[in-house]
Amino acid sequence: MNTDKKEFAAFPEEEALVPSRSRAQEFFRLLNKNRLAFAGLAIFILFFLTAVAGLVLTSGTKPVLDPALVRLPEKLRPPLSRPNLQVLRPEQIPRLGIYLLGTDDLGRDVFARMLQGAWVSLTVGFVAVGISVVVGIFMGGIAGYFGQEQIRADRILVLILLFLGIGLAFLAHPSLGILLFALGICLWILCGRAKLRLEGSPWARFLFAETISVDTLIMRLVDIMLCFPSFFLILTVVALLPASIYNIMIVIGLTSWMGTTRFVRAEFLSLREQDFVTAAKALGVSKWRIIFRHMIPNAMAPVLVSATIGIATAILTEAGLSFLGFGVPPPHATWGNILSDGKRFIFDAPWLTFEPGLAILIVVLSFNLFGEGLRDILNPKLRERY
Amino acid sequence: MQGVLDKSILLSVQELTVNFRAEAIVARALEGVSYEVRQGETVCLVGESGCGKTVSALAILGLIPQPPGEIPGGRILFMGQNILELSEEELQNLRGNHIAMVFQEPMTSLNPVFTVGEQIGEAITAHQKVEGDELRERCIRLLKDVGIPSPAERLKDYPHQLSGGQRQRVMIAMALACSPQLVIADEPTTALDVTIQKQILDLFKTLKSKKGMSLLYITHDLNVVANIADRVYVMYAGIITEQGKKRDIFQNPCHPYTRGLIASLPARSKRGEALHSIPGTVPDPAYKPRGCPFHPRCTYAVKKCSEEFPEMLDCGDGHLSRCPVVLSSERKTNTIRTHEGPHYSDL
Repeated sequence: MNTDKKEFAAFPEEEALVPSRSRAQEFFRLLNKNRLAFAGLAIFILFFLTAVAGLVLTSGTKPVLDPALVRLPEKLRPPLSRPNLQVLRPEQIPRLGIYLLGTDDLGRDVFARMLQGAWVSLTVGFVAVGISVVVGIFMGGIAGYFGQEQIRADRILVLILLFLGIGLAFLAHPSLGILLFALGICLWILCGRAKLRLEGSPWARFLFAETISVDTLIMRLVDIMLCFPSFFLILTVVALLPASIYNIMIVIGLTSWMGTTRFVRAEFLSLREQDFVTAAKALGVSKWRIIFRHMIPNAMAPVLVSATIGIATAILTEAGLSFLGFGVPPPHATWGNILSDGKRFIFDAPWLTFEPGLAILIVVLSFNLFGEGLRDILNPKLRERY
Repeated sequence: MQGVLDKSILLSVQELTVNFRAEAIVARALEGVSYEVRQGETVCLVGESGCGKTVSALAILGLIPQPPGEIPGGRILFMGQNILELSEEELQNLRGNHIAMVFQEPMTSLNPVFTVGEQIGEAITAHQKVEGDELRERCIRLLKDVGIPSPAERLKDYPHQLSGGQRQRVMIAMALACSPQLVIADEPTTALDVTIQKQILDLFKTLKSKKGMSLLYITHDLNVVANIADRVYVMYAGIITEQGKKRDIFQNPCHPYTRGLIASLPARSKRGEALHSIPGTVPDPAYKPRGCPFHPRCTYAVKKCSEEFPEMLDCGDGHLSRCPVVLSSERKTNTIRTHEGPHYSDL
């Protein structure tokens, strides 16, 4: 008996309680089990480093690898061919001493152009998904948490005026737009003041009638947005807006938030009824803090997964837009417009189409694999038992 | 009522009525419930599941979702202030700061994605401006107060790393964070096993005497009541059926429902016998029987019970009961202190 007790004393109570692995360790253990997801993550990191290197090497007034340098005598050289030193001026000689991925129809170094395009793809993917996730979480959070609240008719009127005002101000008639916007704000303030005074009159019954719930408004908006074939919606918007990489990011972001909204709303509907939310309320925590500190972190898992896959989709969309000539304007290279330029020479210079195509394929595939792996890791129910 | 001016009365719930509306159906969760909690007192609300115990606690904190809930009548006076008339900001200031609540399920009442330290810290910072090392110190002191070993290390733990009893201790620490005058404990030991239950009850007792707070303890377990209560309110189907000091309730129950509950307790003297149970179930709050809501299950029921809603009757010394039948019959025969009655023969 005595020895038994001594042995017990050798193990302090706390150590027995604490699991040996931290969260991050557990994450990587599970990721390691899923080989494809791990490969996806590895390729993603590689792609990230390449894109950053691409930005450093190809930008500036005197870039190390100049993607815009035209060498007409050296056009359509296959990959790994050496430059013809006799016809080139010294500053035209590629810094690597070799055309790693060949040259295009203007004799530009495809390797440099691919590097430049990698950065475009990366930023488009992340910024667009960032926008869509922020919008999606916000809309989904509001629909899920405040869903049952009714919107009064005057608020809808104000909203319509404000949106119309902003739209007009930016697109066609700035003065008319600002006028409508100001009118909307005036109406908002007026209605707030007049609500008590007009109580009971037939006007008030019409103006302050409860129309639809927040949930209905947001979710029907989501349905409407999903009805549009998004690629054509993007094409239309891009055709209206001046072509620039930032417009593309914003447009892709603003047309892809609907999935996130649905996820977050669904998560919020179940989280709202959880005990810890009631417990937080009972502690006097404010509702915005409950939404942002308590509920959103609990709703992040599906968002993270859809965001990872969303990045792949955004990269594909950008490549598609660039391929069609609606994307990032030349001379800036993106994988999409390298592909587009190359398609005219597909039989003479197949590398011009295959290189960006393969790059897109690998990156998108790696993101998708990583996203699926992430879903398995973050959702214990889908986790295989090892 | 007479308690309003009494300074020693911390919380006074008066004729509180709560309905839940689902389209045409109105579930009357509470129908004119009155109780009070004095300073430094432990009051138990006892009753079966679905009798409105938790609803009345949530109403005190202003946490009844409206809609579907509605509070058509009654007052909840906390230190002389009607809680039902407070704005959302005032309520937020009240919750956690003056009135705190410990919930039934320690497993789900803690947010799984934050550490214990963050959650206790939040309970403090929700009402007080405390930062950095001072906040950490206060969290550690709170954890020490509720009897968690090596509190400094536990601050970094996530809820899933703690046992059920420890989690409930953390919940209690969070409730105590701002030293509230009143702690509402909603069946805090139901999800725990009996040994832990005992520990938590002892913890409540020590904390109460140390901090001088009042405790409103909601439970369905009469053993717990016997252990902790000063005064007891027995609830059934949204009304208070009997109230009084713990001794009165246990030794001289004057309502058939209370008698049934006490008879259902296992006891050493009843070894080998089948346990008593009250026949039937709690009525659906949307379709309560006319008259006394307990009469369909009551062995004392007479014809009058199904016609008249019984009034609260005095049995002496603050002991009130809502059963005229028991009172009148037993006063005549002078057997108020006995457990006699049709279904007590098996005792």
